[in-house]
Amino acid sequence: MASLEQNTDNTAVLIQNLTRKFGKFVAVDNINLTVSRGEIFGFLGANGAGKTTAIRMLCGILRSSGGNAWVAGIDINKKPELVKRKIGYMSQKFSLYNDLTISENLTFYGGIYGLKRKVISQRSRDLLDRLKLVGFRNRMTGALPLGYKQRLALGCSVLHRPRVLFLDEPTGGVDPVARREFWDLIYELSDQGTTIFVTTHYMDEAEYCNRVSIMDQGRIIALGKPTELKQEHNVKTMQEVFFDVVQPVIT
Amino acid sequence: MIAPVLYLIRKEFLQIFRDHAMRGIIFVVPLIQLMIFSYAVTTDLKDIRIAILDNDKTIASRNLISALVESDYFKLVSTAPNPKHLRHNLLTSDADVTLWIPLGFSEDLATGNGAQVALNVDGSNSSIALRALGYTEAVVRLQAMKSLESFIQASITIPSNQTPSTNWDLQDEDQIATSPRIVPQIMNPRLIEPVMRFFYNPTLESRYYMIPGILVLLITLISAFLTGMAVVKEKELGTLEQLMVSPLTPAQLIAGKTIPFVVLAYFELAVATTFAILWFKLPLVGSIPLLALCALVYLLVTLGVGLLVSTISNTQQQAMFTVWFFLIFGILMSGFFFPIENMPVIIQKITVINPLRYFIEIIRGIFLRGATFDDVLPNLLPMLVIGLVIFSAAIMRFRKRTK
Amino acid sequence: MKRILAIARKEFLHILRDPRSLAVSILMPLMMVLLYGFAIDMDLKNIRVGVLDFNRSAESRSFINEMVSSGFIVESARLSNRKEIEPGFRQNKYRAVIIFPADFSLSLVKDPVTQIQIILDGADGTSAATVANYLNAVTSRINLSYAKEDFGLDILPIETRTRVLFNPELRSAHFIVPGLAALIMMMICALLTSIAIAREKETGTMEQILTTPVVAPQVIIGKIFPYMVIAALDATLIFLVGKFVFGVPMNGSWFALAGYSLIFILIALSLGLLISSVAKTQQVALIAALMITLLPTLLLSGFIFPIASMPAVLQYVSRVIPATYYLEIIRGIILKGVNWYPRMGGILTGMSLFLIILAIKRFKTRLD
Ligand SMILES: Nc1ncnc2c1ncn2[C@@H]1O[C@H](COP(=O)(O)OP(=O)(O)O)[C@@H](O)[C@H]1O
Ligand SMILES: [Mg+2]
Repeated sequence: MASLEQNTDNTAVLIQNLTRKFGKFVAVDNINLTVSRGEIFGFLGANGAGKTTAIRMLCGILRSSGGNAWVAGIDINKKPELVKRKIGYMSQKFSLYNDLTISENLTFYGGIYGLKRKVISQRSRDLLDRLKLVGFRNRMTGALPLGYKQRLALGCSVLHRPRVLFLDEPTGGVDPVARREFWDLIYELSDQGTTIFVTTHYMDEAEYCNRVSIMDQGRIIALGKPTELKQEHNVKTMQEVFFDVVQPVIT
Repeated sequence: MIAPVLYLIRKEFLQIFRDHAMRGIIFVVPLIQLMIFSYAVTTDLKDIRIAILDNDKTIASRNLISALVESDYFKLVSTAPNPKHLRHNLLTSDADVTLWIPLGFSEDLATGNGAQVALNVDGSNSSIALRALGYTEAVVRLQAMKSLESFIQASITIPSNQTPSTNWDLQDEDQIATSPRIVPQIMNPRLIEPVMRFFYNPTLESRYYMIPGILVLLITLISAFLTGMAVVKEKELGTLEQLMVSPLTPAQLIAGKTIPFVVLAYFELAVATTFAILWFKLPLVGSIPLLALCALVYLLVTLGVGLLVSTISNTQQQAMFTVWFFLIFGILMSGFFFPIENMPVIIQKITVINPLRYFIEIIRGIFLRGATFDDVLPNLLPMLVIGLVIFSAAIMRFRKRTK
Repeated sequence: MKRILAIARKEFLHILRDPRSLAVSILMPLMMVLLYGFAIDMDLKNIRVGVLDFNRSAESRSFINEMVSSGFIVESARLSNRKEIEPGFRQNKYRAVIIFPADFSLSLVKDPVTQIQIILDGADGTSAATVANYLNAVTSRINLSYAKEDFGLDILPIETRTRVLFNPELRSAHFIVPGLAALIMMMICALLTSIAIAREKETGTMEQILTTPVVAPQVIIGKIFPYMVIAALDATLIFLVGKFVFGVPMNGSWFALAGYSLIFILIALSLGLLISSVAKTQQVALIAALMITLLPTLLLSGFIFPIASMPAVLQYVSRVIPATYYLEIIRGIILKGVNWYPRMGGILTGMSLFLIILAIKRFKTRLD
């Protein structure tokens, strides 16, 4: 606990030997990480590397099989319910209500986080403005293009101003312009002091991160600033770093 | 032409058998339903709870009481000390029926003054009440007729060598010759005695009547529900679109989607029928091929309903609710629980479009009365018409979507 | 509290947005109670009887007239020989055939006892017994009138003074309406809520909710509330239709009726949510709801089929079915005017608490 208290000032996420097994299969294998406050941390890895599993554990919705982690200073194994107050989460699968309108979805999530009515409507207005969704507020969510949906999902997950925001493949399936706009929002949030923990497949997005880790078969096999990693591997892009470290799966 | 359909069917079966919840729904649930339904759905009334107050306390009153209690229908739950107590028994639902034999009962009986007993029935459950009333009155009437007979016999003397002359064989020639009687009559009582004979189900087991209806419900559920769901599920997942862009014709698609459920429904019907015959000793008097033929016509209806619903539903929830909605009305208006002839005329007319009504009638006829093709034809024809209409409507809507 | 309201509000919107669920929850109960109120009649009417009269005398005719004049029996076929009997049964032309032998009128004046034969379709055992009973009663009436003519006896030796309490005219609606209320509440509550959680699991929104600080009781109560309103609305509708359309009397207190109904609704909702939090898919949830809540309520609660006639095992089962108690209570309140049921009320309250707690306990705030 002592180390934890020291770290609360500048550490947003601290992961120690975190492990998750499904039966015999080890999805997350003994990972260690520290993410500082305000950092944009890229959590990279091939499909099935174990990224979602790790994030779910960090969000307190999946029990860990071993090791421990602290999110915003809170022990995820001991107080998963408390963790949830401090974080925002955007799942890799679009998961807002298609039969609610945009503003109804926002109101719902605001209410779920226990925000006051006035606060919700004020922040919703702000957010809709920043997300460029003002004109669509009364549209049925199910009828929106995917890019809009994802911006809305982001909005819903930050309405309560979380300390740490977990984004699991937030830009999957979205066009480059929309992705660009999405990352502008991420930067904005980061400037306001929110720690961003984001997974992605797009290696150009990896370049936008302050620091990245690369995961493969449940283990973290590379960690550092994008520039450092590129230097280390003597390549020009993160793409190449990725190809370098991730071994083809031999079956 | 046929091969693609076979692949579709194969895929459908793979999906059904791989999903263990589905396996349960198809193979285990129906048998459990059959068991519970068949045991629960008995309308025979046994053990009607009767409370009795006997103020007379004579042989005659005790005879009446034992006649009641010894019939299978009644269970004596209390002998009340006073009439107030009887009423209380009804109020607290401790008894269904109360009988009060007042003082002077036997005297009035003996003098022919018309002895009276008071029978009170709890009408709050009118189905029990009605039958309880009927049974009690029947027992009392029987006692009354016995007294009437002995009364008449006492007032006249009849020659003792007389026995009923009629021979009740079905083979009996139609015109019964009357054998001349020798003994002259001074005063003969006119007394009619009905001789009852029950065809098909002499023990009046109500279960036999209900089980064929349950079989209908089972195959309806399997075919209509599952077809509807199977199509909508593919719609939800987007795989239906995939199938529709393939060179499959709508006819092939429909065949591929429905044939597996025809097979399952037949399988279900066969298993459930076998089970009902072996376990519940349900008689199957009629012919099995006829049963299979009628079932096929009925499946045309249910599969059509399933398909039609799937074309107007986008989610499984909608599909389920829609099928459920129609099914509830179909079942309750089918004569399964409540005889159609008791319903108001308007509602009887509405039931003309209810396919369940026809099939329940057909299947009961075949199972219990050995109905032949000619016998079931009046029910089979309307069912066929309904089936053709629904199925073509389903195909038309289905085609429209594919284009 | 705010969180509960947020969930309840959202749940309301879901229901309002899906017209079909709305129809299932409001329209269907209304249609059911109207249709069944009119359609269900336990009393056998218009019993079809075929006549095979070899005697064709004034006596046999007067028997038939007496039989038909009771109003319960209609002569639906006249047969000319015995070979016609069986096909008629198979085509369901009549429930019974009454046969007068050729010497019926002669035997009547000559023999001490004259027999007629009645052949009944036993396939529907229960109705057959009732039909037999009616025909016996007709015969007794005729015998009595003969006795009166011949011997001056003008009453049956034993006369039953029958009174039906609580529902003097034995109107089926009076007992069907309370039963339907129980059935419909169970159906609405269990079917709608059973998918309320399973649906969110399938679409992935549950994962999103789980990462927020809501706790299980908030989710469960937030989900119960809207359906409670709908079920209460349905119940009100059903009881009002019962009273004003079918003339079901209200002998007890509305207050007691509302109280016990709310407890029952709570049970049904918790049961639905319990199923929903255990089931993984909507399909499984719905089928489980049908099996666990609806069919037992329909079949084992005494709604239609008398519990006393069931095998012992099923009688025990009926005692753990909430509707068994609820039905007895509301029939008691409405028809008998008895408002206070400490034992059964206690059992229902216990059941509702148990189920809510269980639903909350089984609702996992984690994915595994
Ligand atoms: N609930 C589960 N049960 C069994 N295996 C799982 C479960 N969830 C994930 N896995 C497995 O764990 C591995 C990592 O999955 P995931 O964390 O989703 O990967 P990623 O998000 O990096 O693509 C995959 O091989 C997946 O099949
Ligand atoms: Mg993932």
